[in-house]
Amino acid sequence: MRKLPGNGGRAGPSPRMIVARRRRAAVTAGALVTTAALAAAGCGSSGSGAAGKQVPASAKQTIVFATQGLGAEGTATAAAVKAFEKANPNIKVNILTLSPTSDVAYQQLTQRFTAGSSTPDVITSDVIWPTTFARPGWLANLKKFHPNTGAFFPGQMATGEYKGGIYAIPWFINAEGLYYRTDLVKTPPTTAAQLFRDAIAAMKKDPKLKEGLAFEGNTYEGAVTAFQSMGGQLSLSNLNNIDTPGNVGVLTMMFDAIHKARIAPTAVSTWEESQVQSAWLSGQTPFALNWPYIFALSQGSNPAYPAVKNKTGWVPFPNPVGSPQASLGGDDLVMNAKSTHQAAAWKFIQYLTSDQAQIARAIAAGDPPSVKSAYTAKLYAAAPYFRQEQAVFAVATPRPVTPVYTQISSQLQTMISSVLSGQASPSSALKAAAPTVKQLQATAGP
Amino acid sequence: MTAPLEGKAAVGAVTSARPQPPKRPDSGRDHRLGRQYSLIARDRRFGYLLATPTVLVLLAITAYPLIYNVWNSLHHDVINSGLPPTYAGVANYRKIFTDHQFLPALAHTAGFTVVSVTVETVVGLALALALNRKFPGRGFVRAAVFIPWAVPTVVSAQLWKSMFDPQSGWVNYVLTALHLPLAHTTWLAQTWTAWAAILAADAWRNTPFMAIVLLAGLQVIPTDIYEAAKIDGASTWRTFWRLTLPLLRPALMVALIFRTLSSFLIFDVVYAMTSGGPGTSTSVLSYLNWQAFLVYDDYGYGGAISVALVVIALMIAAAYVRVFRSEQVL
Repeated sequence: MRKLPGNGGRAGPSPRMIVARRRRAAVTAGALVTTAALAAAGCGSSGSGAAGKQVPASAKQTIVFATQGLGAEGTATAAAVKAFEKANPNIKVNILTLSPTSDVAYQQLTQRFTAGSSTPDVITSDVIWPTTFARPGWLANLKKFHPNTGAFFPGQMATGEYKGGIYAIPWFINAEGLYYRTDLVKTPPTTAAQLFRDAIAAMKKDPKLKEGLAFEGNTYEGAVTAFQSMGGQLSLSNLNNIDTPGNVGVLTMMFDAIHKARIAPTAVSTWEESQVQSAWLSGQTPFALNWPYIFALSQGSNPAYPAVKNKTGWVPFPNPVGSPQASLGGDDLVMNAKSTHQAAAWKFIQYLTSDQAQIARAIAAGDPPSVKSAYTAKLYAAAPYFRQEQAVFAVATPRPVTPVYTQISSQLQTMISSVLSGQASPSSALKAAAPTVKQLQATAGP
Repeated sequence: MTAPLEGKAAVGAVTSARPQPPKRPDSGRDHRLGRQYSLIARDRRFGYLLATPTVLVLLAITAYPLIYNVWNSLHHDVINSGLPPTYAGVANYRKIFTDHQFLPALAHTAGFTVVSVTVETVVGLALALALNRKFPGRGFVRAAVFIPWAVPTVVSAQLWKSMFDPQSGWVNYVLTALHLPLAHTTWLAQTWTAWAAILAADAWRNTPFMAIVLLAGLQVIPTDIYEAAKIDGASTWRTFWRLTLPLLRPALMVALIFRTLSSFLIFDVVYAMTSGGPGTSTSVLSYLNWQAFLVYDDYGYGGAISVALVVIALMIAAAYVRVFRSEQVL
C-alpha cells in the first residue's frame, strides 16, 4: 500500500516522507537482523566431532535415558530410575520415550546419531542394533569400564561385541517359544508333525477354537524371529547362502500350516505380536508363538484371562529340520559415544543390571533378567513361570550379529511374506533373496 | 491458487506497476528525472531487501533440500557404514532400472493413481452436486461428509486395517451376515484384495477433499445462467455437460492436480496397512523411497529415487496445466 515516491517532483522531503524514511530504516534493520539470524541458524547445527569434556561421576548432573516401554515396563523403568536417583543424589535421570514399534525406534535413534547429538546418554537397544550403531562410531566402547561379561547369558553378551570392543550390556533377555494350552494338549509336541496333529485334534475337540496355531507373519521384524524360532537357519555363515534345505523345510512348514493343514489362519500373514497375543489370551488357539511377556499376562490376575490362566505351558518350538532353537530377543543398554556424562551413565547401567534391579523388573514387568545370578529363589517365589522359561532361554539363538542386519532383515521379511501369502514357493523365494542377502553381507566388511 | 500469485505480485510490483521511464535511469542526465529515478532505484533495492528474508526461508526449505538431495543421489552414502560419501556418478540412477523393485513399484503407483483419482473424482463430483442443492439439514450433511478428510491418514489406515481383519473386522462380518461372496477373504494377504482395501481406505479419506474443492467451484457459478438454460428448454444432462462442467474446469484442475500428485506420492496408507506386502505386491514409490532412506540408510539411492519422484511429479503437473490450457483456447 506504499505510495510511489517522487511523482510530484517536489523540492524538499515532506514531513510525511521523513517519517516514512525512518520507518523504512527500521524495517530495513529488521530485515537485516532476520537475514542474519537465518544465516546463523543455518550454520548452527553443523558442529560435530568426538565426545566433549567428560563430567566426573561425582558432579551434580542430569543424564538422558532413551527407552521404549509402555504400561508395566514403563512403570518398572520409572521405579528403577527413582531408586537409582535415591542412591545417587547428584545424578538426575531424564527419560526420553522411544516408539514402542521397534523399527520406528531404530529410525528415531539413527536420526539422533546422524545429527551428532550428545544426548541421550544411555539408550535401550534391541539386541540386533549394537553392531549397526557401533560401526559408524556412534557408540562408546564400554571395555574401558571393565564390565563383568561372565555375569550375562553368553548369546546375548555376543550381540554387543564388535571388532574386539564391547558396545552393549544386556538388560533383559527374551526368546520366542511355543505357548500351548495344558488343558487341550497333554504333553507338549516335540516334532512339527506332532504339533500339526495336536492342533487339528484340539480344533476338532473344542469348537470354540478358531485356529490351531497363531504366529506373527506380517512384513516386519517379527516375521524373521518367527521364522528363526521355528528353525530358520540364520547364522552369520548362512548369510552367504540362505537357500539351504533346512530353510526350505521351515518355510514349507509355515506355508503348510496356513495353506495345507490350515491350522493357522491366512490372516497370520498380516498379524503382529499383538494379534497373536489377543488370539492366545482370548482362548481361541491351542498353540501360539510369542515372547515371555505373554506368560506373565496369562498367569496374571489384573486383568485376568480365564481362558488361559493356569492352563499355560511354554516350550521351544519343535524344529522340523533340526534341534529346537528360539530367536533371541531382548534389550541391551548402550552408551552414546558423544555423551559427556559417560561415568555417570556407566553407574546407571551398572545399577540397571544389578541383581536387585533385575529381579524387581522381572516381577513387575515380566522381563526376564539378563544376569544369570538374578535367577534365585526370590524370583521363582514371586513368579514361578520363570523356572519354565529357562528351557526356552537355554536354546536362545541370536539373529546374525552384523552391522547390515536391518537391511538383511528387510529382504527376509519380503521373502517370508511372499511365501506365507502363497505368492512364491519356499524354494523360489529363497532363491530370489539369497543373492541380495549375500551381497548385503559382503558390504558389511570383515 | 491465488496465494503464490499475490506473493509474486508484491515482489514484482516495484518494477512492473509503475509507468515505464523513457530512458534507463543511469543514462538520464536530466536533473529532475535523475532524482526521481534514484528514488525508484532505492525503492527497488528496498523491495529486494524486504523480500530477502522470505526468499531465504524459501531457499532454505525448498531449494536447499532439493539440491542436497541431488548431491546425495550422485554419491555412495550409507550413513551407518562409517565411511565418508564418495562420488558415484549416475550409479544410483542406474540402480533404479536394475534393482527389480523400482519399475514394479512405478507400475503399482501409476495404476493406483489412475484408479484412485478416477474413483475419487467421480464420487466427489457426485457428492458436490448433491451437496450444492438445497435440502433440509444441508449444513449437517456437509459437515458429516467432510469428517473423513479431517482424520489423519495413518489413523484412518489403521482403522481400515482393523476393519479388514478377517476375524474381528466388520467387513467380513457384514459379508457373512448378508451371505455375500468374499466373506472369508483375508483382504491384506492377497495382491488384488490388498489393493482393494488400500483403495477403499484412500478413497474414504480423500473423496471429501475432492468434494470440498468442487463444491466451492460450484458455488461461484451464477444461478441465472441455469435459469436461462431452463427457459431455453435444456435438459438436466445437457445443462451439466454444457454449463456446469465447463464452468467447473478451474476448480476441477486444482482438485485433479492436488489429488493426482498426493495419490502418486501415497505412503502412509500402504505403510500402515500392508507394509508393501504381501511380498512386494503393494510396494509403491514413496514406500521404496522410505525403505532406501530409513531401512537401508542409503542416502545415495534414496536421493536418486527422490529426484525421480520429483521429476515425475513435475511432469504430471505440467501435463495437467497443458491439457487444461489447450482446452481453454478451443
